[in-house]
Order: sequence, then C-alpha cells, then structure tokens
Amino acid sequence: MTREQRLKKRYTAEKRFRLMGIGAIAIAIFFVFLLLLKVFSTGSTAFVKTTIQTEVDFNKELLELKDVANPNIEQIKSAEFFDVTYKAATGLFPYSNAEEEKDVKQLLSGNYELEIKNYLINNPDALGKKVMIDLTASDDLDQLHKGNFPRDIPEDRRRLNNFQLNIYDNLLEQGKIKTVFSNYFLFSGDSRDPEIAGVAGAIIGSFFSIIICLIISFPIALMAAVYLEEFAPKNIVTDIIEININNLAAVPSIVFGLLGLGMLLGVFGLPRSTALVGGITLSLMTLPTIIIACRASLKAVPPSIREGALAVGASKVQTVMHHVVPLAMPGTLSGTIIGLAQALGETAPLLLIGMVAFVVDVPSVPTDPSTSLPVQIYLWSESAERGFVEKTSATIMLLIGFLIIMNSLAVWARQKFERKW
Amino acid sequence: MKNKIKAKGVSVFYGEKQALFDVDLNVAEKQVTALIGPSGCGKSTFLRCLNRMNDVIDICKVSGVIEIDGENIYDKSVDVVQLRERVGMVFQKPNPFPKSIYENVSYGPDIHGIAKDKNHMDEIVENSLKQAALWDEVKDRLDEPGTGLSGGQQQRLCIARAISINPEVILMDEPCSALDPIATAKIETLIDELKSLYTIAIVTHSMSQAARVSQYTGFFHLGKLIEFNTTDKLFKNPDNKMTQDYITGRFG
Amino acid sequence: MNSILLATLVLFAISSFYFGRSKIKKVALVRSIEPKALPKFYGYYQALWCSIPAFLIISFWTFFEPIILKNLIESRIQSMSLNELSKDELNLIYSQIVSFSQGTFTGQISNGIKSGVETYQSLLSVSQGAKIVLFFCAIIIASLFSFNQINKNVHARDSVEKIFTIILFLSSAAAILTTIGIIVSLLFETIQFFTKINPLDFFFGLNWSPQKAFMSDPANMTAQEAKDLREAFGAVPLFAGTAFIAFIAMCVAVPIGLYSGIYLAEYASNKQRKWGKPIIEILAGVPTVVYGFFAALTVGPFFRIIGENLGINVSSESALAAGLVMGVMIIPFVSSLSDDVINAVPQSLREGSYALGATKSETIKKVVFPAALPGIVGSILLAVSRAIGETMIVVMAAGLAANLTINPLEATTTITTQIVMILVGDQEFTSAKTQAAFALGLTLFVLTLILNFIALRIVNKYREKYD
Repeated sequence: MTREQRLKKRYTAEKRFRLMGIGAIAIAIFFVFLLLLKVFSTGSTAFVKTTIQTEVDFNKELLELKDVANPNIEQIKSAEFFDVTYKAATGLFPYSNAEEEKDVKQLLSGNYELEIKNYLINNPDALGKKVMIDLTASDDLDQLHKGNFPRDIPEDRRRLNNFQLNIYDNLLEQGKIKTVFSNYFLFSGDSRDPEIAGVAGAIIGSFFSIIICLIISFPIALMAAVYLEEFAPKNIVTDIIEININNLAAVPSIVFGLLGLGMLLGVFGLPRSTALVGGITLSLMTLPTIIIACRASLKAVPPSIREGALAVGASKVQTVMHHVVPLAMPGTLSGTIIGLAQALGETAPLLLIGMVAFVVDVPSVPTDPSTSLPVQIYLWSESAERGFVEKTSATIMLLIGFLIIMNSLAVWARQKFERKW
Repeated sequence: MKNKIKAKGVSVFYGEKQALFDVDLNVAEKQVTALIGPSGCGKSTFLRCLNRMNDVIDICKVSGVIEIDGENIYDKSVDVVQLRERVGMVFQKPNPFPKSIYENVSYGPDIHGIAKDKNHMDEIVENSLKQAALWDEVKDRLDEPGTGLSGGQQQRLCIARAISINPEVILMDEPCSALDPIATAKIETLIDELKSLYTIAIVTHSMSQAARVSQYTGFFHLGKLIEFNTTDKLFKNPDNKMTQDYITGRFG
Repeated sequence: MNSILLATLVLFAISSFYFGRSKIKKVALVRSIEPKALPKFYGYYQALWCSIPAFLIISFWTFFEPIILKNLIESRIQSMSLNELSKDELNLIYSQIVSFSQGTFTGQISNGIKSGVETYQSLLSVSQGAKIVLFFCAIIIASLFSFNQINKNVHARDSVEKIFTIILFLSSAAAILTTIGIIVSLLFETIQFFTKINPLDFFFGLNWSPQKAFMSDPANMTAQEAKDLREAFGAVPLFAGTAFIAFIAMCVAVPIGLYSGIYLAEYASNKQRKWGKPIIEILAGVPTVVYGFFAALTVGPFFRIIGENLGINVSSESALAAGLVMGVMIIPFVSSLSDDVINAVPQSLREGSYALGATKSETIKKVVFPAALPGIVGSILLAVSRAIGETMIVVMAAGLAANLTINPLEATTTITTQIVMILVGDQEFTSAKTQAAFALGLTLFVLTLILNFIALRIVNKYREKYD
C-alpha cells in the first residue's frame, strides 16, 4: 500500500467515525421528535369534545312542576327529569325497535341527564319551552368524529353499528354535530367514561404532593448541605453520611415506594392513597439529589468571601448564614426545582403507596385519596377504551408542559441571579 | 548553511487579540535553533505554528508564510497529518500516553504504517529508545505503563516517541521546564546528539540552556522578534539594546 | 390537636425571644456587667430552650402514640377473644375501632368492637392528657432553666450556634435515617418471607407463579400445597428477565450514548454543543411513564406488525420493545457521563498524539478512549444500575408472565414489574406473596447498591487521576 493510499484510507476512517458520531446524535434527536410527535399528534384532540345538538322539551308536566306557578331553583333541582331526558335522547332520530332505541341513546355521553338538568338550573327561563342544547356525545361518536375510528371495517368489529353511523351522517348533514372546547378534560375528575373523564383530580394531587415534597425536602436538604460543606469535621461519620447520600441518589425509585409502604403506611399508619404520603415518599427520594445540588452551589462560593467575613470577626455560623447561603441561593433554588421536577414525573413509588385508586372526586386536602399526573397516565394507558388514548397523550402533554415550565424556571433562577466571581 | 524552515511575516491572532506580529525567522537544517524571551512573548505560539498545532484551537488564526523545504505549510494542499509526520513535537510537560512504554513509541509508526511487521516494529522501538538514551533504563520493562517512569525518563520517552516516525524537524517547547537539573542535563546532552540527524527548534525560558545547546537564537518580546543571530553573537555582542538588557537580566 | 399545640408553642417562642432579649439588658444594667453576646442572641437562646423540648415531646407522641395504642388494643382484643386471631384479623378489628371512634365508620359493629372503642377512647384521652401536661411542663422547666442561665450571663451566641450546628447535623443524618428505614422495612418482611420459603428456593428456583401460593396453616398443609408453595417463588426467571432487558437497553444506549458523547466532546462546534446537548437531555427529563406509554402503544405494536409481515410471531409485550425504549431513556445518561469523562482527559495527551500526525479519530480511538476507559466503564455501570431499577417501562411494556427465555420477541418479566404487580391493588401484609415483593425489593436494593458503589469508586478514582 502506498503512502497516498494509506492516507486516503485513514481519512476515510476519520470521516466514517465522524459520521457515526453525527448518526448517534441524529438517532437520539430522532427519538425525541418521534416521542413528542406521537404524543402531540394523538393528544391534542383531547382538549375538545364532540357535541350533538339535541332538542329538549322542558315540559312542566313531564317535570312534574305543573302545579307550581313560579318554581324556584330548589324546586327545579328536585324536579323529575327522567321523562324529559328520555324524550330528548330518544328524539334524536326515529327508531323502530328497542334495540335501535338503545343505539340512539348510546350516542350521548353517560352524563347527558345531568347536563340537561344543569342547563335548566342555569337557565330557569327555559322552563316550559323547547330548546336546543349541545349535549356531550358518547366516546364512540366522539372518536368517530375526530377520525380515530375507521368506518370501512366490517360491522361486527366496529364500536358503532351501521344504524348508528347512519344517524351520525344524518346529524352531521343537519349541522347538529359540533366540536367544542371540552369542559370536562381540564376541570373534572376521573371517570370510567372517557368523554367526561378529566385530569383536575390528578393535577391537584400532583400539586399537593409536590408542595409537601418541597416543604420537607428543601429545608432539610439545604441544612444538610450547609452542614456537610461548611461544618462537618473530616471524620468517619461525615464520610459515611457522604457515601450514604451518593448511594441513596442512585437507589431505584421503586425502593422508596417500598419504604413508604412499609414505614409510612405500615408502621406509622398514615392514610393510604393520599397526596400526603406521596409527598413524603417523594421528598425522601429527592432529598439526596437536592442535597448534592445544594452542595455544588455552596462549593461554588469562593473561599475569599468566607475569609472576608471571618476577618471582620463574624462567627462561623454568621459567615455561613449571612454570606455563603444567600450567595448560593440561586443555585440551591434551581437544584431544588430540578429535584421537584423529577418528583413530579415519578410514578413507581406512588403506585406502591396506593395512589392508583380510582378517584372520581377532586381532592380538596392532602389527606384525601388522590392520584397524580403520571399515575393518571399509567391508569388511562391501561384502559381499553379508544378514547383514553388521546386523554393519556393529552395528560402527557400537560405533564411535559409543567416539567418544561419548572426546568425553565430553574434555568431562569440560575441565570437571573448568577454572579461572576 | 541551508535553511530548513523559512517563516515570513507570520502573525497570529487569538480571536481579537494579536499574539504574534509579523515574524520573519529561519531555522537552519540539522542545527539547534533556540527561541528565548520573557513569558507570554509569543515564542511558544510561533513554535506551534511550525507544525500547525494551533489548528487545534478554534479561535486561533495564522497569517503569513511558513515554508519547509520551500513548500508553504499553510497552503490548502498541504495535509496537516503528513506535515506533523515530518515535524514532530515535544511538549513542556511530559505527556506519555497512559499505555505501555512499547506502545507509546510504537503508536506513531503504527498509525502511519511505517513498520512492515512485528520485527520491524521492535527494531524501530529499540532504535528510537536508544536514540533517546532511554533504552538501557527501560529495555527490561517495555510492558510497564509509560506514566510510571520518572519525569526525566517520561520526557525522554516523549522524545523517543517523536523520533519514532523519523521526522525531519523536532520542535521542543520548554522540554526541561518540569524537570530537575540532572534530568535537564541528560536531555541537553541528548539534544546535542540528535542535531546530527534532525533539525531542532527549541523554546526555552533559560538563557543558559539556549547558550549551551543552540547554534542560533531568536529573542522574542511582546509578540515581536527583536533579534535573530547566531547564539555566540547574540549572547556576547547583541545588536539590539533590548536583547542586551534581557540577557544581562535587567528585565524579564 | 397538634396544630393547636404547635401554634401555642410558636407564640411562646416568640414571646420568649423578646423576654430573653429584655432580660439580659436588665441584668446588664442592674449588675452593671457587659453581656457576653448581643441581646438578640439571649432572645434566641430563651426561645430555643422554650421550644425544643416541647417540640420533641409532640413529635415523640405523634410517632409513637399510634404504635403503642395499637399494640395495647390488639393484645386486649386477643385476650378477650376465644380463639387465636391472625394478624390480619387483628388489623381489621383495630382499623374498625379507630374509624368508629373517629366517626368515619358506617355499618354494623359488634359488642366486642364497641368495648374496644371504649378502651381505645379512654386510652387515647389518657395519652392526650399526658401529652398536654408534659408539653407545658417542658416549656416551664426549660424556660426557667434558660432564665437562670441568662441571669448568670452565659455566652448565648456560642450556645445558640452550637444548637444550630446540631440541627444542621441532624438534617444531614436524615439521609442515614432514610437508608436505615429502607433496610429495616425491607429486611423485616424479607426475614418473615424466608421463614416460610427457603432462600435457596427463592434465589435458585426456576418457576415464578406467586398466584399459586395459598398460605394455609403451615401445620396441616398438604404435601401438594407445600410443593406448590416451594415452587411458587423461584426468582430466577425474574433475575434473568431483568438482566436480559437491561442487556438489550445497554445494547441501544451504550453505542448511541457513547458516540454522541464523543461527538459532543471532541467534534462538535460550540454552536452544535449548545443545541445538541439540551435536545438529548430532553430524553433524560421525560418521565418514565411516558416512555412506558410510548413502548406499549407505539413500539410494541410496531414490532408486532413488522413480525406479522415477516411471518414471525412477536408478542405485543416484548422484551425487545421494553429494552429498546429503556435504552433510549438511558442514552442521555451515558452520553453526558461519557462527555464529562472524555473532557477530563488532559488536552496534553491529545496534543501529543496530534503532534505525531495522528488524525482526530485515531487520537480518540487510541489515546483518549483508552485513557477515559475506567471512567466510561464506571458510567456504564451506573447506567446498568439505572436500567435494572427502572419500573414503569417494564410494567407497561414487558409483560407479566415469568418466562425463562432468551427470545427477545417474547414477553418477559422483571423484578420491578413483579413488585408492582404484587403490591398494587388489595393486599394483606402477611401473605407470603406480599412479603415476596419485599424480598425482591431487598434484592434489587442490594444489587443496585453494589453496582453504584463499584461505579462511584471507579469514577472517583479516575477523576483523582487527572485532577
């Protein structure tokens, strides 16, 4: 092989190596986009719902309010709505037998009776009149309208039969089917019916957990970091604590779930399935991460600051509290936010302490049973209904949105208050 | 005396900052040329231009012409890998690779495909180590890591590594600054022996070292070449007042 | 109750502060002496003495009152009952008693429980009364003590700072407490598990089917039941599945992570680094449940469709899908760690290689990479430990059946999956199945601990070498 050939070969190898590096990065970035694309393309439709414009006859007789001259809200609330709602639902389309009647009714969501009732409560003027109300459509119709159900497959493998498809086409032609912003997804709790299931409960549950996690882990982590960085003597106890913290940071999260289950629920008898226990478990998990971040930012404060303070006669504690900790604050804050973001995305430990319960009510205090956003994602992704797929993706969008906000906050905190020594 | 390297109007910029101003300097073939001057004067920068080591630094820009055997090394057609094969370098701090002594020396011949077979490689390694006056000290432990040697031995290993690919020029960037006096003396003797085979350019902060090992000396100050002369002339009877002040220790 | 006491305590502490501060001024004036520290430190001193002992009493009660009450009540129930009650039954009765006395219990209660409720309430009132008495005693005694100390003009700042340092130390000891908590809670259940199941059967058994294990009374267990029980908890399929999926994940993550780490450290311009690094790090910030969703709903079905087209039977929950997605999750981990490690290799080594006429890739392959190898090995070990501890991806995408297989297209299960499967849903704490989950947890904990320990040592040693 001549020298020139050899050199050419070496440069080919160089180019190949470089390309492999670029390829590796391209693959990684490809996965990022694939993931986000998948989530956003399936999730965005969950924020809207399909409605069917339905004629509702608030007939006083049917409501059994005939004898009341001017019914007040209380009387409306306790009125008999069964006949009115039945008439409205079955009046969508003419049918010929009981089977078809069921098919017609099934086009509306399970919540339509309540929607009709609420309409009248909010609009008492409608009493005795016939009005058109946009009622939430069932999950199947919703998915069909959003284009997630193929129509051209055999009837027995379809969720909607030919008769129902026919009704849909008919209603669509009349302009009665509309797509509107969903008042359920963001503002209500979980449900077995995808079209009325919402993430409000999960958001509140996550919020409570994170706040509890913050209240517990930030002060303890900051104090621990201050001790290790500024006060700890060089001895075996300190070494053990340091090794312990480093190892704890790499313990799988599920082990913390076992800790929560065994200790918090088993020994201390705290209430199961609650954001309180979730928050405590998460704080134990994030504690080492935050300690490490706090230590790093304390370490970044130059020794000259400490020497300056000590030289004017400040005690060690005063030096640390008046000078070092305030200067390290941006770093500790951003480290804490990043730790909390990690806690927000954590699922496994929460499963073990029972935050997977099916909770319809939105929790109002941390000791109410609740779920959290990631657990809600897990729960919905295990559900069979097609409608939950878009809900899952949309919940992921919300979760990723919150994570982006928290991480940007961390970056902002660091940059805004960053000092150049 | 034939000039191996001719530098004309060499200027170097690190971003906005100019580190070298319009330097003209020739390096004589099979002689030792020393570059002296106070720290930060640009002598190392100039040396690193001679094998384009400055290319490694992103913000560094070089202008001017440097010819080796009449060929401009900053020409587009010149391949930097081939250039460095011809122009070797020894650094301020010994930097043996974290590999065995043998592998340290065989690395260069290996990447350039110089050795025909294993026996030939053994031969190259032995010769290089002998030329670097290290063979006797390490011949029984060629498999041990090069980082386990003493500082002076490490530097001689780096010299052996540089000469293993049989370069035409060897650049030395303060090769003795990290060494004790005994190791320094050994390296200086070695430089003297090597000049029969290679053209050598050496940067040194020690004027006595320049006086001992070199035939030509250039004096740099604040990025400018103040004076270039034979070593004898420059140290005994410099043309320039500033050179006079520097070698007599009035500044620097 | 506690919140009222805490509020009282805060009020006491605040007034103590002002009291201590004015007290030292008076002492100094009356006896015309110079206080040893600024007046405010005497305030802190008085406040700390007033609040810490009382606070400790509240915390002690909060932690131990339920435990002690539970034991007392349970032993009472046991002594009243005619036949031996199991732990589960005791638990149930106790929780009924508690919820009834809190007024949250709805339904019929027996006379036995009614008497239990009475006992519970009387014990509770005794305990609460004792708490309040002790609480105020602590405040009074400690305040008197510190009042006396201030009278003697002690060096208040030194004392305050000493207490402060002790509090700091205790916070850092919280990490140790966590570790102890983990070990205790895992070990306790695991030991109980091993009294029922031979550890050898657990660690070397080839058959995992905990649903078959019905614990009846050990005394009159049939031979078949005993055999079933022995064969129900063989964890080898889980270990194998965990190792297998982690292996697939590393096959994805190591080459991609390493190459991108090398590219970012050695080739990328500043601008490329500025964009490339954060984008790759997005992968690290994505919650694992999202990866699980991605694996279960996109990657798994994708492989199955490919398999169908090729005529291969691919399970929709396959080790391949889970491993691949887990690998993607670990890419940024490997990439940023190896980026750090490679950046720690001194520039002089690179220059030495360039000066010999080596190309960039030759320098990386033959000089930088070997020099960085220990650090890279350490990083990969850390990544492995993360892979075997990862839960959500495998729970959602790897399958539940314990298959001892090396076919990546079949479903396999892992340690973490089984822990979740056993513990999510209804559970009694004493069944062998539940305890098996804790035994698995302990195994996982020890395994990752060993890996992390080795990895951190290697990495630290490597860092010292080039520092």
